[in-house]
Amino acid sequence: MADFQIYESYQSLLKNENLSTPLAAILALTEMMMHSNAGTMFELLNELKGGAEALSRQTSNPIGLNAGCELFIEFITSFPQDAASFSELKTELIRHGQQYAEQALTYRAKIAELAFDFIKDDSVILTHSYSRVVLQTLLLAHKRKRISVFVTEARPRGLGIKTAEMLTAAGIPCTVVLDSAVAYAIDKVDFVLVGSEAVVESGGLVNAVGSNQIAIIAKAANKPFYALAESYKFHRMFPLSQYDLPSHNPGVLSFPQALGARALPASSGLPSKSSSVSSDNGSPIRITQEDIARNNPDVDYTRPDLISLVFSDVGSLTPEGVSQYLVGMFAG
Amino acid sequence: MPEPSPTSAPASTDSPTLTKAQKKAEGRARQEQQRAAKAAQKQQQQQQSGQGPAGSSSTKPKGSATPRKSGLESNTAASSSKDTEGAGGADGSSDGPKSRGLRIFSHFGLPKTPGHQIKGDIHPVIVRLGLQFSEFKICGANARCIATLTAFKTVIQDYVTPPHNTLSRHLMTHLSPQITHLVNARPMSVTMGNAIRQLKLEISGSDIDLPEQDAKDALCHKIDNYIRDRIIIADEVIEDLAVKKIKDGDVVLTYARSSLVEKILLRAHSLNKRFSVIVIDSRPLLEGKTLLHSLTSTIPPIPCTYALLPALPSLITESDIVLLGAHSLHANGSVYSRAGTAMVAMLAKEHTVPVMLCCETYKFSETVMLDGFGKNELAPTKFSPDAPKSNSNLEILNPLYDSTPASCITAVVTEVGLIPPTSISSIPLALGRMSL
Repeated sequence: MADFQIYESYQSLLKNENLSTPLAAILALTEMMMHSNAGTMFELLNELKGGAEALSRQTSNPIGLNAGCELFIEFITSFPQDAASFSELKTELIRHGQQYAEQALTYRAKIAELAFDFIKDDSVILTHSYSRVVLQTLLLAHKRKRISVFVTEARPRGLGIKTAEMLTAAGIPCTVVLDSAVAYAIDKVDFVLVGSEAVVESGGLVNAVGSNQIAIIAKAANKPFYALAESYKFHRMFPLSQYDLPSHNPGVLSFPQALGARALPASSGLPSKSSSVSSDNGSPIRITQEDIARNNPDVDYTRPDLISLVFSDVGSLTPEGVSQYLVGMFAG
Repeated sequence: MPEPSPTSAPASTDSPTLTKAQKKAEGRARQEQQRAAKAAQKQQQQQQSGQGPAGSSSTKPKGSATPRKSGLESNTAASSSKDTEGAGGADGSSDGPKSRGLRIFSHFGLPKTPGHQIKGDIHPVIVRLGLQFSEFKICGANARCIATLTAFKTVIQDYVTPPHNTLSRHLMTHLSPQITHLVNARPMSVTMGNAIRQLKLEISGSDIDLPEQDAKDALCHKIDNYIRDRIIIADEVIEDLAVKKIKDGDVVLTYARSSLVEKILLRAHSLNKRFSVIVIDSRPLLEGKTLLHSLTSTIPPIPCTYALLPALPSLITESDIVLLGAHSLHANGSVYSRAGTAMVAMLAKEHTVPVMLCCETYKFSETVMLDGFGKNELAPTKFSPDAPKSNSNLEILNPLYDSTPASCITAVVTEVGLIPPTSISSIPLALGRMSL
């Protein structure tokens, strides 16, 4: 048990292009079970909870991963314990875990089929950043309908460019728009289609930063805002605001220390930590892309009233429907 | 009824004055003429179209209303002061100078006089509780529910099944007048209704073969469990959940006083969270003062700001989170709570301040509430000491509750977790389909 490093296993699983974070977490926990020598259900659950905690501690944005861990532990807890021995039960659970992950990979095709009905011929679609399920949906739509796509650049990681390259390679007319040009482009767009990191209990959406502002702009322009989410991304969490997300930390949107120190006359005697960038000696302050990325969030939260529909493998749901599904699943 | 007989109304108002009698007589004669003409016309129409009695009854008041109005118009030249008198008389709803009635609000639960009649065999505990309710000594959905259930425990223990009867069949007929007495003291709260429904279920399900004392003990035990599971433990879970949402440096805004919000704030304080509280309050009950007192008597005291509802717009911008309590939560997600809550929630939404409603699942009601007019309750007059004199034209109306739409509530904190207000109906526990 001690020799098994769940985080390494998780990271190596993530190298697989098809695996999203919740699925990788489920598989990592399954792998952990294989290495575990727990003798009882209680021990096993404790180990799994510890593993899930270790995973979420080591990642900067644990939201998607938590959704997967939560689902898996819930599944283990409610699994009927009628096997002859515990080791048999364990192998059964491992088999179920792997089977689920395998089956979950087909969810994207299912979602693509559902969302396809909402895409009209000659549609102009706006999408954000990179999402496997959105990509699959667009590729499916391209086979039978004429579509063109605007994709946002999605700073700081610039994953929108990856989407644009893949769509262009498939022959879909595609243009990259700046994150700041969404409001400019929205009138040319028929609807917005985004993926998701997690769908939360309020019916809202946690996704790559920028989704919220796109949703607000889409609402203002009366364009539908559709989200695509596999059901393993449904997460029992209720953020009240952007700053209530687990990914939020005091470093995000903080003000740099150097400027504050300069304003205080008393601290003049002490050399500032970042004296190399101080403008006292006349050299201009340089702000790099890394500095910007460090002070900015990875994900944001979109309120349910901005979302038109959520397509998932359990059906096309309204945000209220999502919350009722989640409440029914976990609070029932 | 708004339309008294048209002939008597002007006549009764005109009779005291003699100087203008001639003028009045003239006007009245004209009225009679018009009315006769109209009636004749109508009769003709009816004969032609062959209308039923329903049609005639609906058109008659219309016809009679017009001449009366014209009669009043003719009076305006005579005297304006008497005119208003005439209008008052025409309304005709008053029975003496004491009360002019509440017109469209007449269906609201009216405050009862403390010494209302005791009908039938009422247990002294219930009589006392009824007085405490009507005097607002016991106030608040949770407190009233717990007090009612505790009193019922005494009633059940003192109850003796009459011969040739079984407890499970007869006890409810004994409890019904007690419940009626409490409802007469103050309209029943949703919490009491839910608890009593559960109690009825338990009574009808109690075993016939059980010795009487055992059956009574079992029922009392069930009542204790209900209070513990649905209120006390539920509150503790809600405290845990809600405290997590209060962060260091937050300014928490709350309205009036909810026992649950008070507990949450005290818990957050005992966990050494650094936060301050804005207590918004309003007449007539001014319950926020009680909350303010308990928050500031902690060691060290919680920094508090106390303000009345009109000051809310300037304070809402300062707050980070709004915590509210509820009287009941309805199937369409609307919240029935102390009058003024809707305003706080709406203003918070307008300023994008998250609104957290703290409410146990036993406060859920399967009815739909669209506004605060369908059902409400009026505050007793003792809370408005500057009430006008009885013959004044001013009528005081103090509804105790209002209805907040679901769209103004960010999250409802219940013992099963944080949920959106519209999802309450998908929780089996709230629907009473599952016991803890």
